[in-house]
Amino acid sequence: MLIERTWKRWVYFYIPLTVFVVGTLFPFYWMLITAIRPDAELYRSWRAATNTPFWTLQPTLEHFRDLMAKTTFPQWLWNTFFIAVASTAISLFCGLLAGYALARLRFPMAGALGTSIFVTYLVPPTLLFIPLANIIRTFQLGDTPWALILTYPTFLIPFCTWLLMGYFKTIPKELEECARIDGATRFGAMLRIIFPIAVPGILSAGIFAFTLSWNEFIYALVFLSSPEKKTVPVGVVSELIRGDIYFWGQLMAGALLGSIPVALVYSFFVEYYVTGLTGSVKG
Amino acid sequence: MGGLTQVRPGSVPHGPAQAPAGSVRRREILVAYALLTPAVLLVLGVLAYPVAWEVWISLTSFASRAESRSFVGVANYRTMLADAFFWRALATTVVYFVVTTLAKLAVGVALALLLARPCRGRALVFLAVFLPWAYPGGVTVVAWYWMLNPPLITSYSVAVGHWKHAVDGVAGAGAYTFASVALFNIWRGASFTAVFLLAGLNAIPRELFDYARLETRSAAQRFRHVTLPLLRPFLALAVFLSFTTAFADLANVWMLTGGRVIFPVVGTYAYWLGIRSGEFAEAAAWSLSLVPLLLLALAVLFRWFDPPREAPA
Repeated sequence: MLIERTWKRWVYFYIPLTVFVVGTLFPFYWMLITAIRPDAELYRSWRAATNTPFWTLQPTLEHFRDLMAKTTFPQWLWNTFFIAVASTAISLFCGLLAGYALARLRFPMAGALGTSIFVTYLVPPTLLFIPLANIIRTFQLGDTPWALILTYPTFLIPFCTWLLMGYFKTIPKELEECARIDGATRFGAMLRIIFPIAVPGILSAGIFAFTLSWNEFIYALVFLSSPEKKTVPVGVVSELIRGDIYFWGQLMAGALLGSIPVALVYSFFVEYYVTGLTGSVKG
Repeated sequence: MGGLTQVRPGSVPHGPAQAPAGSVRRREILVAYALLTPAVLLVLGVLAYPVAWEVWISLTSFASRAESRSFVGVANYRTMLADAFFWRALATTVVYFVVTTLAKLAVGVALALLLARPCRGRALVFLAVFLPWAYPGGVTVVAWYWMLNPPLITSYSVAVGHWKHAVDGVAGAGAYTFASVALFNIWRGASFTAVFLLAGLNAIPRELFDYARLETRSAAQRFRHVTLPLLRPFLALAVFLSFTTAFADLANVWMLTGGRVIFPVVGTYAYWLGIRSGEFAEAAAWSLSLVPLLLLALAVLFRWFDPPREAPA
């Protein structure tokens, strides 16, 4: 290991890192400061003597109270949670089976199937929302959570399969063969040996899927219409912006509250997440 | 995520060399297909069928106001291609993609190199870096709108207005809005690119870097001749992911321009046509106009990914 001079470490490491972190977090700070700023301050003149754009002296929870009382925000939270959990569960189930098959079994067309699953991940939703809207109308699923629970797996399954396939390949084949020799069936070996080892991979696929479905915007915007059926990202945006009137304080309060679950999931699992990602790469 | 770097998605899993007995083999194939069924069914049902439907619709005169639906051949495409608006939208989309991707890669590589170094509080830094990506984009985009394009009655809108005029004055009308959308995309995507590339850096054996230290004179040289080439497959994938998100960025553009078509991007306009105006056929044609670009990018990506000289042993 080389010994670096202190100034060098500051110039090449600490200062750039600080700039990055501050730059990334600034919009969140701006959200927070908007959410706790009283309305009078939000709209006061730029040239006012009391103007303090970067902080506030009278923090208030008024916007949070309004958000809870005057909108169906708690309902949006529940909708989003339900949809995210259901579609993540479906995708993980399908992804586990498919990933295992692609990584471990030999069968005709394995290559073609692997490639096509990868390709489907890359089909942008921009291409799909028009026909999907029509299908959902045909099956009368419009404005129900099922419209989203059944469409989200289209982009979640390919991703989960792909990540888990990579992860399964890193697990030595011998482990499974030993279990088979000791009398386990293929499914027994899969359930008791392979899946437990793959937990970091499964968790990171799950976290990823949960985040993607929690944050999804286009499908939720197109397929849901009644205010009380909406998900957080769409509800916040569509119900708190009426024409040209933006309820900024409540918007930002909603933006902060609505993301707490995702933030929690990440802070608990960030270690797993990183090992899951790097593990599947390292091989 | 990176299963790809090591195994090309299309490669057949390598099994034991000797052929298993016939019945065992048949059983294995059966099990494989059974395991794949749920995934394939869902993906096909909600992906292949809609795309096929979309292609068909784009050849008809389907619209919510039209009484009947008739086959019109490539008329929708002809109208679209003759529309100057389409070319402007396509140009904006491509410029948007190039600008944001280059910036994301640059920031991502820099950030990945910084994150690769252990330091105190690294987990916290990780969290901070990952937050923009993990946060719902549909929501943060509103925060950005509020920050960069505040409405007239806001306390700091005068200050931002000056900026906007300055930028638009130098680079033309709409430049500020474009910049704010691009900035948002970079802010959101760079951190993801960084974490992704970090995984790539970690996958490179330490010894290679130690050896490079001895062989090269400067850090810049080391970066150019060792780090970058080794990261290439990851960079290629990052470019592709950025490609799909750039085209999927309908929602960002939509929100940051306040739901108006100020500068057109293909996806936004397709949404406008299809969902707002009910011109489904035309909207389908607009959406499908991205397919050739997507295929081209896919072809380039696969070439980059698996160059012959790096073929796995």
